[in-house]
Amino acid sequence: MKPTFHDQLIAILPKLRVQALALTRNRAAAEDLVQDSVCNALSAQTSFIPGTNFPAWMHRILRNRFISNLRKQRDTADIEDVPASAFACEAPHEDRLALKELGTAMDRLPADQREALVMVVVHGLSYEALAEQTGCAVGTAKSRVFRARRQLEAWLLGEHNDGRVGRLGNQTAVRAARDLVARARLAAADNAVTSDS
Amino acid sequence: MKHEPMTQQPRRTDPKTPRKKGDAAFDLWLQRGLHKLFDDVAREPIPDELLRLIEDDREGGSGQGADAPGPEPGPGGGSSGSSGGGPRPTGGR
Repeated sequence: MKPTFHDQLIAILPKLRVQALALTRNRAAAEDLVQDSVCNALSAQTSFIPGTNFPAWMHRILRNRFISNLRKQRDTADIEDVPASAFACEAPHEDRLALKELGTAMDRLPADQREALVMVVVHGLSYEALAEQTGCAVGTAKSRVFRARRQLEAWLLGEHNDGRVGRLGNQTAVRAARDLVARARLAAADNAVTSDS
Repeated sequence: MKHEPMTQQPRRTDPKTPRKKGDAAFDLWLQRGLHKLFDDVAREPIPDELLRLIEDDREGGSGQGADAPGPEPGPGGGSSGSSGGGPRPTGGR
């Protein structure tokens, strides 16, 4: 049996929450944004054509709602509210610091870049799907992800051309991030050796 | 949410800038970090209030949005005040 409009709406809620948090950077604001978007979707459900791309339709409603809210209240909420649970894992201390630095750096990205990066990396969207769900050209979608990634790398690893370290200032976290990258590089090399042999 | 290899990782658009080995390592680290930051949010239980809102609408049929904010411009266009025409969030460069 084909899922109904309401089934699809419930199924996509987790992804909407992630998108909302990526846009708002604030848990409470994200929950409000999801709820408002659901209300909008329910009100506008007759305009949805069954069989067409429901996720794209829904993500765009949420995005448009975010933009609409942003216009109403130009000053956004605090950016302190990175998911607390993210730091409650049993990662080593320096890993947690690096993760916190990543959260801080994500907060500093422009909303459209942050959203694009999360939807591609966390949701696994293709650039084409990202473009459809955010209402932009594929080239724009690629560019947003590329710029977000490059900016995070510069901030977190401090890979400026002149050798200066990143701007975030937490040297311990920067070291931790570098260490993690070095370990990931070794793991990738091991995998390459394994697959070659 | 499963942790898949970063198949959609961004690519260098400038062919004069060869992709470094460190880029792939950073991509991997970034992917893991973002999953740690956002996966828990996706896994949290959906608030009952929100589920009830949807279920009430399902049982009552469409047109339950009397108290809901006016519909935003949908994917196919439409307008709501000045927000039509595919606006972008602020802060983009």
